Amino acid sequence: MDSQFLVSLVIILCTFALYIGIAVFNTAKQTSDFYVAGRGVPPIFNGMAIGADWMSAASFIGMAGTIMLLGYDGLAYIMGWTGGYLFLTILLAPQLRKFGRFTVPEFIGDRFNSKAALKIAAICTIIISFTYSIGQLSGSGVVIGRLFEIDAKIGTLIGVVLIAFYAAFGGMKGITWTQVAQYVILIIAYLVPVIFMSLQLTSNPIPWISYGEIVTKMGELDRELGISEYFAPFTNGTKWQFLALMFTLMCGTAGLPHVIVRFYTVGTMKAARWSGAWALVFIGLLYFSAPAYAAFARFILLTEVAGKKIAELPSWTQSWIDTGKLGIADTNGDGILQWAELTIANDIVVMATPEIANLGIFVIGLVAAGAMAAALSTAGGLMISISSSFAHDIYYRIINPQASERKRLLIGRISIVVATLLAGLIALNPPGAITQIVAWAFAIATGTFFPALVLGVWWKRANAKGTMAGMLVGLAVTLLYIFSAKYGGFTILGIIDTGAGIFGAIAAFATNIIVSLSTRAPSQELQDAVINLRYPEQMIYKDGEVYLNEGSSKDIKN
Amino acid sequence: MKKIDKEVADAYFREKNRYMFVYFALWFLVSYVMVAFADSLTEIQFLGFPFHYFMGAFGALFTFIVLLFVNAIVGDKIDKKYGIDDERNKEIGSKNMIDH
Repeated sequence: MDSQFLVSLVIILCTFALYIGIAVFNTAKQTSDFYVAGRGVPPIFNGMAIGADWMSAASFIGMAGTIMLLGYDGLAYIMGWTGGYLFLTILLAPQLRKFGRFTVPEFIGDRFNSKAALKIAAICTIIISFTYSIGQLSGSGVVIGRLFEIDAKIGTLIGVVLIAFYAAFGGMKGITWTQVAQYVILIIAYLVPVIFMSLQLTSNPIPWISYGEIVTKMGELDRELGISEYFAPFTNGTKWQFLALMFTLMCGTAGLPHVIVRFYTVGTMKAARWSGAWALVFIGLLYFSAPAYAAFARFILLTEVAGKKIAELPSWTQSWIDTGKLGIADTNGDGILQWAELTIANDIVVMATPEIANLGIFVIGLVAAGAMAAALSTAGGLMISISSSFAHDIYYRIINPQASERKRLLIGRISIVVATLLAGLIALNPPGAITQIVAWAFAIATGTFFPALVLGVWWKRANAKGTMAGMLVGLAVTLLYIFSAKYGGFTILGIIDTGAGIFGAIAAFATNIIVSLSTRAPSQELQDAVINLRYPEQMIYKDGEVYLNEGSSKDIKN
Repeated sequence: MKKIDKEVADAYFREKNRYMFVYFALWFLVSYVMVAFADSLTEIQFLGFPFHYFMGAFGALFTFIVLLFVNAIVGDKIDKKYGIDDERNKEIGSKNMIDH
């Protein structure tokens, strides 16, 4: 055991103790607390919790590496994973808040007054959250694998146990405040190495816009090496792929059940608007830094690692080769490592760069703790989504409406354990890089919930049949496109698996509108409920008239 | 409960939608339009970056954040203009929850 291992482990354990301490302090006692944390969270803190929920292993561990390898084309992830907050905060969250239901399936079930629609939505929630959690487990495998210098597969197994235990006993009330703590840890862990690298390379401690010269300089280095320039657009895919991926990530953001459920924890439509704005500030701190991280990492690899004698490579290389994610092959046998002979997986760039840049054992340990916070916090939110969809939407509302609260909590916990184990099995042999797996979850959300929610909130004529048909067609088209693009090599306009959501969304919108219009309109009561969402809580739409609720509680109609 | 003129209520909705339209127009401009013209922006330098790269890595996200705060502030202003009392909203909101 070297000192790096000890320091990393101690930092990880301390942060864990902090999260668990907060979770135990707030142990969820009632179901309403377990799922939505009692709705008393102020917007700034709710923004941080949304940020922690949002920034998963994909953002923390995977994104900078993806940008490093794709150059400009990787920036679709930066714009896509943030631009969706406008959809979410302006088009959906306040309206869903006014409608006042716990989860997305519940909104869909009650908005369309259909148990079948609720069932389909619950199944979609489970598929989306499940796909997403595969990426998280795969991320925790990278971190734990490096920590113990073991294969990432065994790391994944350890991650499964941790996440199952953590999510099953937290509940969301624990998780809201735990996630505020997790946000703080993960953002510090991300910013410290970027700031240090920025100081090393540009003597400017503020990385966000200081790395322009590095980007430009890398373009020159690339030209000398005869590879395509780092910042040149569309070298790794077509412009259509870039646009489709960005669209998929944006709409997926607005359709992700575990993110939307966060907005039920705020008190009002106004608080929902502010929570969304704060969330994007906190998320932005990491997203502004990721392209800088990517640029610095690539610059260091280009100038300090490539061109070295293989026999003289520093010790960090061996620990990463052990995880199976770094490859060094002296193909031309000259004993020197050329740029082309270095293969580095997207998923290890963030974790490996502090070591490559020699930032010291505390920084490296801190990054490991931050990465675990990112993977755990999102996995926690995802597992709550899966358990509430199963225990609440499917089991309680459909299978056994007489179930006691205790029984429902138990079913919820069992579903968390089962889902984590299954996702862990798939993550043992991850079907793609973390960002890619997570992008599939977004594509499915884009093809199913985004059209259903947007039409459900903004179009009173949308009915149950149209929405169910839309979700099913969107799901089928998206899954079909992902599989045929990934395994069958089938593409349209060069759009690959990660951009599949655009086709799902088009199909779902069209199906929803056509089927809704050719079947009976929803009842007047449901249509009124949709018009009611145009106004703040105090304004109530009833029988074609709008009323202002000014006081006395007997007026409150619910 | 006081009845509000349908015209006033419609004006509230229209005013919010007008702003929403502006936000999404700007959102579209800084993301999709910039990407669509990325090839022709590579030669322009901005703060040391090629301009298309700057927009993707910084400019678009920065605009999104500003738009969301503008939306929150303007939303509050519109509510106030139409006499919406946030305390009252909170009270209604806290009761607007289905029992389980």
